[in-house]
Amino acid sequence: MNFKLVARITGFSLLIEAGAMLIPLAVSLLYGENPIPFLCSILIILAAACVPVFLFHPKKDFFAREGFFTVGLIWVLFGVFGALPFWFSRQFGPYVDCFFETISGFTTTGATILTAIEGLPMGLLFWRSFTHWLGGMGVLILTAALLPFLGISSNFLIRAESPGPVKSKLVPRASQSSKILYTIYLALTVLEALCLRVAGLNWYDSVTHAMSTAGTGGFSNMNASVGSFGNPTVEIIITVFMLLFSVNFAVYFLVLTGKAKQAMKSDELRFFLIMVAVSTVAIAWNIRDIYHGVGECVRYAAFQVASIVSTTGFSSANYELWPEFSKVLLVVLTFIGACAGSTGGGIKCSRILILIRSARREVRSIIHPRAVSVVRLDGAPLSEATLHTTQCYFIINLFLVFGMAIVVGLDNFSFGTTLTAVITCISNVGPGLEMVGPAGNFAAFSVLSKLVLSFLMVLGRLEMFPILVLFSRSAWKRS
Amino acid sequence: MNIIIAGAGKVGATVAEHLSDEGHSVTIVDISDSTLERLSNQLDVMCLKGNCASRDLLMEAGARECEVLIAATGSDEINLLCCHCAHRIGVPYTVARVRSAEYASDLDSLKRDLGITLLINPELAAAVEISRLLRFPSAANIDTFARGQVELISFHIQEADFLAGHSLASLSSKIQDLPVLFCAVERGSEVFIPNGNTVLAKDDRVYMAGTPNGVHQFFKLLGRHSHRIRNVFIIGGGRIAFYLLIQLERLGMSCKVVDKSEMRCRQLAEDFPHSLIIHGDGTDPELLTEERMAASDAFIALTDRDEDNLIISLYAHQAGVPKVVAKSNRQNYTSIAHSAGVESVVSPKLTTAGQILRLIRGLQNSKGSAMTALYRIAEGRAEAMEFVVAPTTQNLGIPLKDLKLRRGILIAVIVRGTKVIIPEGSTTLESGDNVIVVARDSGILDLNDIYADSFGAGG
Repeated sequence: MNFKLVARITGFSLLIEAGAMLIPLAVSLLYGENPIPFLCSILIILAAACVPVFLFHPKKDFFAREGFFTVGLIWVLFGVFGALPFWFSRQFGPYVDCFFETISGFTTTGATILTAIEGLPMGLLFWRSFTHWLGGMGVLILTAALLPFLGISSNFLIRAESPGPVKSKLVPRASQSSKILYTIYLALTVLEALCLRVAGLNWYDSVTHAMSTAGTGGFSNMNASVGSFGNPTVEIIITVFMLLFSVNFAVYFLVLTGKAKQAMKSDELRFFLIMVAVSTVAIAWNIRDIYHGVGECVRYAAFQVASIVSTTGFSSANYELWPEFSKVLLVVLTFIGACAGSTGGGIKCSRILILIRSARREVRSIIHPRAVSVVRLDGAPLSEATLHTTQCYFIINLFLVFGMAIVVGLDNFSFGTTLTAVITCISNVGPGLEMVGPAGNFAAFSVLSKLVLSFLMVLGRLEMFPILVLFSRSAWKRS
Repeated sequence: MNIIIAGAGKVGATVAEHLSDEGHSVTIVDISDSTLERLSNQLDVMCLKGNCASRDLLMEAGARECEVLIAATGSDEINLLCCHCAHRIGVPYTVARVRSAEYASDLDSLKRDLGITLLINPELAAAVEISRLLRFPSAANIDTFARGQVELISFHIQEADFLAGHSLASLSSKIQDLPVLFCAVERGSEVFIPNGNTVLAKDDRVYMAGTPNGVHQFFKLLGRHSHRIRNVFIIGGGRIAFYLLIQLERLGMSCKVVDKSEMRCRQLAEDFPHSLIIHGDGTDPELLTEERMAASDAFIALTDRDEDNLIISLYAHQAGVPKVVAKSNRQNYTSIAHSAGVESVVSPKLTTAGQILRLIRGLQNSKGSAMTALYRIAEGRAEAMEFVVAPTTQNLGIPLKDLKLRRGILIAVIVRGTKVIIPEGSTTLESGDNVIVVARDSGILDLNDIYADSFGAGG
């Protein structure tokens, strides 16, 4: 393991985090708030980052294990340092709560420990939404886009950070890919902010909600989330953008380069759209007695389905009050999540598709025991190794959900609360059911549970393996 | 003509044999000493050892004076390079064998850019032949002429057929009026051209030419109206199977393929999502039973070993599969297969050799009436040829009944524009016609060769 290089890359990433904090600092100054929490945080991060950046002169040896290791390390450190402004402000409670909130932000989960959000300083709430935006596309992809001199290493970093079972590049150079992705991401975010502004929100709400949607995070600066605006147009705009951000960004690249036909052939995209449509209809039908008229039912159902499936976690209504069928369906969608290559979390539609297809092959092999068949995605055959990794991923996910539910169970909350809290954190959604439902929060959990849930959020965001590498003894060996 | 053949494999040797028999000066280039020694003992040809893609070696083989170069080594790339090299030296006609599916989509531009006259793909040709048989399962063999307007098919006379035991002249007018003609009859080891007095017997193999629709009507009358083939069982997943699957999937047939190699199975499974690929030994009856071979409409044996193909074809035939096709490159096995009931035997080697011979005969004759197709039928004991009638052809406009044709020659079909004519006594040949001629002996190069008085003077 090339620790010096890992440290140096980590240092550069922290520099970017410090740089990113300049924006909420400016927001604080703009609204005449106390800039001290941000100033102190920036100074501490700079001090920590400069040591490896200026003192280490490492060798260039950088391979997959260093890549995975660096990604895991950086995400944890981003949480540790990103929590500083919250802590210094003394309005977010103990440090572990600040850490939970920051990790929830960077991993685009949107689970909060705050009981009353309205009235907190604008700068801090801006930073809270901004972490979603940074974490959505990936902090390392940003590093790679801004600091191309990392060279060869960026390829491994991006592979470790970008979601989905099959990694592919848009263009030959990794740093070029990152720039294209970030440009699409930024453009869509700006577009959403403008739409929200036109729909009647003020600039501050438009920008924070656009960033929360873009990262598919779900932090809102209102206690009642998007529902508090009482503005159907805003809800529809956010519904549309949540879906847009849960589609593989490669689709936009193909559309922009004039290959829209090829993009529409994606199995995953079709699966995703059908799943959203069917769930929306089912839930709209299920809640028909609660709301008035078809339009309203569909609007609430569509918003909630899009919010859960994109793993954003906004709510326009307290779905805790909906019938059980809708709630169970939403929890299942929580588990499945968005498309690979998007900013959303969950197991990902493509993995579910692969699992369904390999299961189908398994059944077929009983009828034709010696048949050789391949599992395909978008018409292209998948290697057995990919299938194996996908199955493994699913199993690790299940183990973690049940294993960690036992630990969180120590807090003695109800079964629904415990299990949905774990699922919602590992899928990076945000709200679950009962105590952690759309109107609730995570404040009541113990320190241990908060750490476990933060850990699950990072695991979910980085798709397990980069974090699991940190627990492998051989990763820590020097040679 | 001076002809260089690069690569003395199955195809190379067969072509060399035929060309040398027809009086051409053939030079064979190969890298194997033993092959060259064997060929130089068997054939009246010159043998040269070396890499045929090398310019020096081609010069040594007499490329400057050579008119045709045929590259049929085991490697596509060497064949292409060899032809390109010969083209640069100035050989006017080059033929390359290219078998890889990867190059298949780009053959036209390869041909143009490298200056190659003809690219042949034996496996593709065999696959086309098999898919034609599956589309029309009543026939044992089908060849097409005049861009598909005329088909030459063969079938076996069975005891119950009304054809058996009657002279052709006594057949009902229903048959007489169909646009079909009996061209050749194979009885035992003998091949003859039938006339009105010919009486067909059980086990005769009859060759019949006609329009596709006419042939179809004929089989309807014969009571062999065949149902469509839907399920195909293929043993051996090599190149022929690959090309065949492309065509059969397009026709909407569902295919099962059995191959011994797991890697090959995986590759086929990746390429053909709609077919069932099975890893196993296709010669194992247990596997065939498990996969319900007997319930399929057609069985095709395409393994590397001709012997295996024939044996499992017989097994499938006995199990009651309606249409059985076997691949066999060894000619002497073909008659065994026929006698045991497997009527359709496809030989990529013969198909390819036929393609090459057709080109060379056409070249020889580029001044007179051009030969556009040549098929060797009845195990090579007769030929069916297609000519385009040139203004220089003799006896134009004279009714056929007034012409004296050589023995063992039949003018089977005349295609004038889009009209298909079954010749009668009053029919005449006109310039621009496509004429299909069946000849018992080989060696006809020009349409003028068919006349009895021109014997020896033509060519």
